[in-house]
Amino acid sequence: MSCKIALVGNPNSGKTTLFNVLTGANQSVGNWPGVTVEKKEGKLKSNKEISIIDLPGIYSLSPYTLEEVVSRNYLLNEKPDCMINIVDGTNLERNLYLTTQLIELSIPVVVAVNMMDIVQKNGDIIETKKLEEAFGCPFVEISAMKSNGIDNLLNKVIQVAKKKGEKRVAIFNDSVERILAQIESSLEGKVPVNEERWYAIKLFERDEKVLSNIKIEKNILAKVEALTQELEKELDDDSESIITNERYHYITTAIKDSYVKKNREQLTLSDKIDRIVTNRILALPIFAAVMFIVYYISVTTVGTILTDFTNDTLFAEWIIPGVSGFLESINTAEWLQGLLVDGIVGGVGAVLGFVPQIFVLFILLAILEECGYMARVAFVLDRIFCRFGLSGKSFIPMLISTGCGIPGVLASRTIENERDRRITIMTTTFMPCGAKLPIIALIAGALFGGQWWVAPSAYFVGILAIIISGIMLKKTKPFRGKPSPFVMELPAYHAPLPSAVLRSMWERGWSFMKKAGTIILLSAIFIWFASGYGFVNGSFGAVEEYESSILGYIGAAIAWIFSPLGFGNAKAAVATFLGLVAKENVVTTFGILYGYTEVTENGMEIWSLLQADYSALAGYSFLVFNLLCAPCFAAIGAIHREMNSGKWTWFAILYQTGFAYVVALMIYQFGMLFTGNENVIGLVFAFIFAFIILFMLFKPYKEVHTLKTDVKM
Amino acid sequence: MMPLTLVEIGKKNIIKKIGGRSEIRQHLENLGFVVGATITIVSQFGGNLIINIKESRIAISREIASKIMV
Repeated sequence: MSCKIALVGNPNSGKTTLFNVLTGANQSVGNWPGVTVEKKEGKLKSNKEISIIDLPGIYSLSPYTLEEVVSRNYLLNEKPDCMINIVDGTNLERNLYLTTQLIELSIPVVVAVNMMDIVQKNGDIIETKKLEEAFGCPFVEISAMKSNGIDNLLNKVIQVAKKKGEKRVAIFNDSVERILAQIESSLEGKVPVNEERWYAIKLFERDEKVLSNIKIEKNILAKVEALTQELEKELDDDSESIITNERYHYITTAIKDSYVKKNREQLTLSDKIDRIVTNRILALPIFAAVMFIVYYISVTTVGTILTDFTNDTLFAEWIIPGVSGFLESINTAEWLQGLLVDGIVGGVGAVLGFVPQIFVLFILLAILEECGYMARVAFVLDRIFCRFGLSGKSFIPMLISTGCGIPGVLASRTIENERDRRITIMTTTFMPCGAKLPIIALIAGALFGGQWWVAPSAYFVGILAIIISGIMLKKTKPFRGKPSPFVMELPAYHAPLPSAVLRSMWERGWSFMKKAGTIILLSAIFIWFASGYGFVNGSFGAVEEYESSILGYIGAAIAWIFSPLGFGNAKAAVATFLGLVAKENVVTTFGILYGYTEVTENGMEIWSLLQADYSALAGYSFLVFNLLCAPCFAAIGAIHREMNSGKWTWFAILYQTGFAYVVALMIYQFGMLFTGNENVIGLVFAFIFAFIILFMLFKPYKEVHTLKTDVKM
Repeated sequence: MMPLTLVEIGKKNIIKKIGGRSEIRQHLENLGFVVGATITIVSQFGGNLIINIKESRIAISREIASKIMV
């Protein structure tokens, strides 16, 4: 019998751990259609016929968060055969609140009381038999961490999934039940059978989203509204609060004689840790120290060693010579050798070189997330970051982006608020990543005589660009809206489960590697072809000179775009264009264009040639443009994955490139003004852009304080 | 009655009233912030609070804390 089971529960209730225990490696991760909420599906380890859907962690089935809407749409429309409602045994009261809502749906429920090992260690007793009576569905004690009670749970699920239509318990007090019964009877035949109760409660609560999904005659709606108002007057409260309070009241009564808690007044371990970690004086130093360690391990020490090994030894000494040797030995055509070795292996290898570093970083982040510290980071940084429209959690992606933008973008996933997440994804690659450092070194060395301030200024430009963009974007239409107040549950601290850390590392790392295998592979082939082939004397073929290649033509054709920025020549245009593939390409391309087949990382060989072609001002403008414009293909791929929408991806790319253009133009034109070489037209545009940015920065936020939820009956 | 922002760290209090927009209030109620519930402040940072309610730890901003009366 094939069968669908949905996992439902509060965040931090151990839902993901249970999902992993049930499905093992048989799972696929994607997104719910149209939103950036993650969707996880899997097949039961012991029976492949049974599929399990891990719904997002939710506190209720109200329509206030994206996760809640996604979950309840799934439950209502897809109708799984059974739900496993996982509840945290150490926090019964709050967790059972969702249970009271789930049992109203016409889907069988099995409640899995998780963390029983901790409950027992605390000396508490949960009498599941009494809870079964109170809620009218089976309760099973489990420990997902220790894999205890899982077989028992599955047996119950299979039993329950077969028989539907269990009797329902009455949750609310008599007067509420009476009104609900009247609403239910008026809905008969208007909504699916067995779902009258759910719709009755939702209509009573005036749930807009449910209202817009069903067709009910005006006169019935008016009757429902009259009944609602009657009860609201009687109980002197609004209908939503009546329902909420009744639910809690029912739970409190139910657990009074089924949950025996050993008396303990002292602080829990988590509280003690929080006293230190979120302490007024110690919070920021502790945070700085933790971030320094993460950065130090993943970017400077272990990560660099691994990346250097992959790039310089694995690819440069073993794979590339090995492949070309093999191809030569079987007499492959020269162009095919070029394509395979220089194009594909070289191009994809340049990106794959980052994989070890990314994996190291993901392990460390997964540990911080698993143990509960990441939630505290958001808490500590929230006050600082909310000033420029970002969430406290935006810091992590930015820090990571100084190493590589791809994991940086992927790390934005931990931000719950969708708007904050989108802004973070769009701006985090403004930070100078490892591949942009050679560009900084080239410009600083060639045009600024290696002055000390150029490199730090690049980071400063990156941070400033993020802050300015955050403030500006928050005032634009797609990001405006209800200011989301900061409320988040902090999980209890616990030792991270190694299997969960490794799984999280693998999921994120693998998605990066898949990207390298597709989009980067194709672009590597294109670049190899476009730079090696072109028209010479009217005939198409392999070319020696870069200028006559397809890429050379492209460079000459787009160079004018960059004239207002001070570097409108084919060489800089091609270098910038190839920077889209990988920012490492910028310096190497300059080298090739100036006639060197190979240059050192900072391009020292071409410093004097650059000095002849560019002023320091034009060089700085070039640097800023390349720092801020659209990131490399791999990072764009990551943006696309996280945005989960082509429209948003394009918006991000265009915004980044447009912003980079405007900033570089202002730097060049204002710089020219100060050196007395102003260009009137350029200057006019620079002033216009500066004015627009200043206007956006100081324009007051448009508060949205009117509630759009007036119910029209 | 006083707002949660004025409460001493570590002292137990009972929620008397929750104000604010109905949407936010509803979200708070879903998280266990209901009249009559016991609430304790665990820690405070820059105005934001970590509080203990119904056995769970929840971080809230100063704006929200000022709407919870105890």
